[in-house]
Formats: sequence, structure tokens, C-alpha cells
Amino acid sequence: MKDFVVADENKPIAVPSDVKGEHAISIVLRYGAIISTLIMAAGVALAMFRGSLGMSSAYHPIHPRDLFSHLLRLEPVAIIESGILLLLFTPIARIVVAVIGFALERDLKYVLISLGVLAIVLLSISFAIEA
Amino acid sequence: MDLTSIHLLSLALLGFFAGGLGALLGIGGGLIIIPVLTLFFGVPIHQAIGTSLCCVIATSSGAAASYVEHHITDVRLGMTLELATTIGAVSGSLVAALISREGLSVLFAVLLTYAGGAMIHKARHPAEHATETAGSYKVRRLPMGLVASGGAGMVSGLLGVGGGPIKVPVMFLLLGIPFKVATATSNFMIGVTAAASAFIYFSRGDIPLLVAAPTAVGVFVGAAAGTHVMRKAPSRWLIVLFSVVMFYFAGMMVWHAYQGVVHH
Repeated sequence: MKDFVVADENKPIAVPSDVKGEHAISIVLRYGAIISTLIMAAGVALAMFRGSLGMSSAYHPIHPRDLFSHLLRLEPVAIIESGILLLLFTPIARIVVAVIGFALERDLKYVLISLGVLAIVLLSISFAIEA
Repeated sequence: MDLTSIHLLSLALLGFFAGGLGALLGIGGGLIIIPVLTLFFGVPIHQAIGTSLCCVIATSSGAAASYVEHHITDVRLGMTLELATTIGAVSGSLVAALISREGLSVLFAVLLTYAGGAMIHKARHPAEHATETAGSYKVRRLPMGLVASGGAGMVSGLLGVGGGPIKVPVMFLLLGIPFKVATATSNFMIGVTAAASAFIYFSRGDIPLLVAAPTAVGVFVGAAAGTHVMRKAPSRWLIVLFSVVMFYFAGMMVWHAYQGVVHH
């Protein structure tokens, strides 16, 4: 990893001190994307293996409450649905990690900004689920 | 629609293309995925949008992981603009009933065409290029940028598209951010905006699992390839490619508006 970047040959500019927080954010994004992709791929592969691809794309989502019991029965649709849900939660987990990272750096302004983003996103999700 | 292995392969290919272009240009690719799914796969429009939202999140997470790691994403600027974008998106959905979608589409097309032209013009002045690393520049006109990001959020809340195609020009033209930092920061932001809507589509049953999963897998692989190309490609080529995609989007928006007027 580079310690500084040279924008102008005479003026090296230090990378901000938030490298650890950025590292944590990139880890959440990377593993969220990789693991959810692997789960979705496994679900699709299992569906193909069982020859259940002839099924219609129309479906009713399994309620997250019941997802676990369907997963235990290794139902392809339940596996794919948990991959999708993990994918959808990844950006939200990334905001939470940003809040923690900025808090550890004692950067109050950005703690508040990130909390604001988190609050609005959670608010719009709760509106949606009620409606 | 019945799914065969040929369908799965075509969906993964579509995802690969959209994910690659999205990672390269900082856009979600909804305007590529939605029309292809509805026209060629017969997916209903709401399910096509739900699928596209999943793909935007896959593009954003896959690409941003790499861009944040390499300090191309400006995380602080991204979080700040995200605040304006999410507020805009929520207010957009509240006033949706009061606004003409057709009129807004045409206005959006005019903005895209103008921004595309302005970007090509700016790319011809190499003096404007700073190092493509977060923090190697000074953000200009932030208050205007916040207002514009709020507008971008509102448009994407109303039309379901347009997050990236507005955010990148706002950062590049208005805030004076290097192009690659603008696209990487846009990539970082679009996942959050998409996630907020994606849960709505999920709870309504509008994310067709067997369509979304293979497409999203393709997107992830495409985004990984796109990030490699983006880091090596000259900014000027990316700017020209971006402008071409913007002109295509503008054409699509006018077409949608025309269809909307014809059908009402």
C-alpha cells in the first residue's frame, strides 16, 4: 500500500488518516458481494441439478421469518432468496461500518452525516414494508 | 416465463455487460437491464425494475470494494452527497403523483444531452485533470452540488433511473472532481439508493428470484472485469464512452415519454 500519492511532483499529498475505516468499508462490500453471489450461484445450480428450472419465474417470496426452515430443506428458491437478501443488506451494512469508522476517528461531522443517511434509508424501508 | 439453461446463460451475459459498463462508468445500468428484460425476456416492468435494483447493488458493491481499497472513491464526499440524494429520493416518491412523468423524462433527456456535450468539451482541456486519487483536489461549489444531488435523488425516486448519469456529471463538471474519482464515488453511492428501493420491491414480491440471481451473478463478474479496465483506461476514453452512453439514455427517455403520451 502506498503511503502517499504524488499529485504534483513537488507536493506529495498525504492520504487521509481514515485508511483503516476505508479498509473496513471495502471488506464489507467485497465479502457481501462475493458471498451473496456464491449463494445465488449455488441456488441456481441446485435448481438446475434438480431439474426444477421449468418452474415459472412467478413466485411468492418466502417470508424472511420462515426462510430458515426452508433453507434446512435445501430448497433452491430459499437459497437464492437468502443470497438476494444478503446482497440487499450489504449497502446498509456498509453505512453502519462507515458510522463506526468515523466514530473511531472522532470525526463527529461525518458520524452525523452517515447516521443521517442510515436514518433516511431505514425510514424509507419501514414506509415501504408498512404500505 | 419458463426458464431454460439458455435463458440463464443469456441473463448472466446481460448482467456481465451491464455490470462491466456500470463499474467502468459509475452507473447502475438500469437503462440497459430494464428494456432488455421487458422486450426480450417478457419480464413484467415492475419485476424488471426489481431485478435491475439488485444488479445496481451488485455492481456498486463489487466495484466500490475495489475503488475504496485503491483510494479512487472519495468516501467523505460520497457520504455527504448521499445524504442529499436519499432526502431527494424520499421527497420524490412523496410528490410523484403531482408531477408529469413524461415532462420530467424530456427535461432529464435535455439535461443528459447538455451534460454529455459539456463533458466531451471538458475532456479536450487536459489541464483540468488532476491525479485520479481521492483527496488530490479541492471540492468546489459543494452547496450547489448538494442541491444537484438532491435533484438527482428526486429524479431517480420519480423515474426509477438516473442516479449515476446525474451524479457523475455533477461531481465532474460542477464540483471539479477528477473523472475517475467521480465515477468511483458514484459507484459507491448508487448501492445505497438502490437498496432503499429494492426492499420495497422485495416486500411486494417484485424481485423474480430465478431472473435476478443469474443476472446478478453475471453483474458481479462483469463488475470485477470493469474495475480492472477502469483503473488502466485513460480518463479521456472513459469520458467519451460516458457521453455516448448519456446520449443513448437521453434518446431512451424521449422514447419513453413519447410512448407514455401515446398510451394515455
